[in-house]
Amino acid sequence: MSGTPAEVVLEVRNLSKSYRAGHLRARLRPALKDLSLTVRRGEIFGYLGPNGSGKTTTLKILMGLVFPDSGSATILGAPLEDLSWKYRAGYLPEQPYFYDYLTAREYLDYVGRLCGLPVSVRRERCARLLELVGLGHSTDVPLRRFSKGMLQRVGLAQALVNDPDLVILDEPMSGLDPLGRRLVRDIILDLRRQAKTVFFSTHILSDAETLCDRVAVLRAGSLVATGHLSEILNLDVSHYEVLATGGDLDPLGGWPPGVRGHEVLGERVRLEVAEEALLPALEHLRDRRGRVLSVNPIRQSLEDFFLAEVAPREGAWELQD
Amino acid sequence: MGASGLTRILAVASNTYRETVRERVLYNLVVFAFLMTLSGLLLSELSIREDEKIVKDVGLAAMDIFGTLIALFIGVGLVSKEIDRRSLHPLLSRPLRRRELLLGKFAGLGFTLLVNLGAMTAGLYLTLFATGRGPEPQLLKAVYGLYLGLLLVVALALLFSTLTSSVLAAVCTFSLVVAGRFSDVIRGMQDVIPGAPTWLVRLLYFAVPNFRNFDFKAQVVYGDPVPWAGLAWVTLYAAAYGAVALSLAEAALRHKDLP
Ligand SMILES: Nc1ncnc2c1ncn2[C@@H]1O[C@H](COP(=O)(O)OP(=O)(O)OP(=O)(O)O)[C@@H](O)[C@H]1O
Ligand SMILES: [Mg+2]
Repeated sequence: MSGTPAEVVLEVRNLSKSYRAGHLRARLRPALKDLSLTVRRGEIFGYLGPNGSGKTTTLKILMGLVFPDSGSATILGAPLEDLSWKYRAGYLPEQPYFYDYLTAREYLDYVGRLCGLPVSVRRERCARLLELVGLGHSTDVPLRRFSKGMLQRVGLAQALVNDPDLVILDEPMSGLDPLGRRLVRDIILDLRRQAKTVFFSTHILSDAETLCDRVAVLRAGSLVATGHLSEILNLDVSHYEVLATGGDLDPLGGWPPGVRGHEVLGERVRLEVAEEALLPALEHLRDRRGRVLSVNPIRQSLEDFFLAEVAPREGAWELQD
Repeated sequence: MGASGLTRILAVASNTYRETVRERVLYNLVVFAFLMTLSGLLLSELSIREDEKIVKDVGLAAMDIFGTLIALFIGVGLVSKEIDRRSLHPLLSRPLRRRELLLGKFAGLGFTLLVNLGAMTAGLYLTLFATGRGPEPQLLKAVYGLYLGLLLVVALALLFSTLTSSVLAAVCTFSLVVAGRFSDVIRGMQDVIPGAPTWLVRLLYFAVPNFRNFDFKAQVVYGDPVPWAGLAWVTLYAAAYGAVALSLAEAALRHKDLP
C-alpha cells in the first residue's frame, strides 16, 4: 500500500437511516447516523460492529434494497440509482435465501442472465464456481434441500458470477463450518491477488485482523474508528508475557521494578513485564535458577479494542431514545 | 456491455414459470381430465345433439375456476412472499429494475396460465371429438375472454401483494374479483341502499373491474355469435385496467424498503 492512492471504488457520504419502531405511534429509531467512508481499489475492507450497530443496514442501502433518509453514495464511480455499476459488483446478503424449486446451477444461471452474460460464459462459470464453493456434487439438487451452510455457499458463488470488481459480503463466514471459513478466507485473498475490492461485514475479529487492509468500526449507527489496523490498534508491544518454572522462585515477592503482575499457574509463574524491564526480569529468573518457558510480546488486538471502545458504551444510545 | 430490459424481464419470466410449474401448479389438469372424461361419458350415454352443451359448460367453467384460483393464489405470493423470505434481495442487487421484476413476474405467471389453459382447451376439444362432434372455433373466443380475465386477476394480485401481506392480498384480490363478477349489483346499489350517493355508486362501478365483460361462455355454449369487435373491446378494457394496476404496483414497489 504505497505510491499514489488507488481509485475510489466506494464512497459513502453522510448516510442516515431511521426505522419505524412501535406500532401506533410511529417513533423513529436511528439505525445509521451520518456515516461516511471511502474504500479504494484493491482493498480488503472490514466492516465491524456489534449486533444491531447498522452494518446490514449500510449494505442494504448500498444495494438499493433500503432507501436512506439522507446522504448519498457512489459505487465504482456511479451514483447508487445507476444500474451500470451493478454489472461490476457482487453481493452476498445476510442469511441468503433463494428459490425452493430451482437448482443451484439454475439459480446461478439466472443471476448470470440478469448480468447479461452469454450462455457459454454462464455455463462455464456456474460449474467452476459451484465446484469452488464445494457444491460440485449438488449442482442439480433443488435449493429447498440445501442446509444453511450450503445456502451460504450458493450465496458466495452467486456473488461471484459476474467476475465482479467489487464484492460486498454481509457476514460471509456465518453458518459455515471450519473448512467453509477457510474457503471464504482463501476466496477473499484470491480476490485481492486479482486486485479486486472486497467490502465485508463481520463479527469475527480474528478474521478481520488477518484479512483486512483497513477496517471501519461501527457502534450504534456511528463510526467509532476507521483506518488501517495499525492506526486503530496500538501495534507497539505494550508489554511481554513471560512464563517461567522451577528453581527457588518466590512467586510472591522480590520482583524487579517493571514487573506489573504475576500469577501462579500450578508449577508455573506468568509474569507481565514492561518492555524496559524485560532484561532485569530475565536476570532475576536466572539468578533464582528458574527456567524460562516462553517470552511473548503482547500487542493490542482488535478484541481488546472492541472491549475497550465499543462494549462499555453499547446501549448508551438506547437511553437517549 | 449489459443486457437490455427486455432480456432481464424474460429471465425473470422464465424462472417464474419454472418455479410455478415445479410448485405443482399444473396438477389441476388431472382433475380437469377427470371432469372431461366424466362429462364425455355422460354425453355418449345420452347421445342427444343438444347435450354437448354439458361438456362445453363443464369444461369452460372448470377452466375459469382453476385459472382464477391459480392466478389469485400464486399471484399474491409472487411479490409479498419473496419480500418476506428475502429471496428478492440477491436479485435486486443485480442490474434489475424493480419494474422489470414486476413485469417479469406478471409475464411468467401469465405464461403458466396460458400453458394451463391451452392444455385444458386441448382436453375439451379432445372430449368433443371423442364423442363425435366436429371442431368448433367459437370455443376459442370464450377461452380468449377467460384468459384476459385471468391476466387481470394476476395484475390485481400483484398490486395487492406489493401493498400488504400475502394473506391480506389474497382476501383483497378475491373480494375485488367477486365484486367484479357481480358488478351489476353495485349498479343497482341504490335500490338496496336508497341513501347511497350517485357519485359513489358511479365511482365504485368504474373502479371495480367488470369481470363479466370477459365472460363469453353462455354465448358460445348456446351458439350465439361473438362479434370480433366485442373481443377487441374487452382486449382494450383488460389492457387499460391491467396497465393501471401494474403501474400502481410499480409505484408502490419503487420506493419500498425491503428490510
Ligand atoms: N426492518 C427493520 N425494521 C426496524 N428496525 C430495523 C430493521 N432492520 C434493522 N433494524 C434496526 O436497525 C439497527 C441496525 O440493524 P442492522 O441489521 O443493520 O445491524 P447489524 O449491524 O447488521 O447487526 P448484526 O450484527 O446482528 O447483523 C438495529 O437496531 C435494528 O433493530
Ligand atoms: Mg447484520
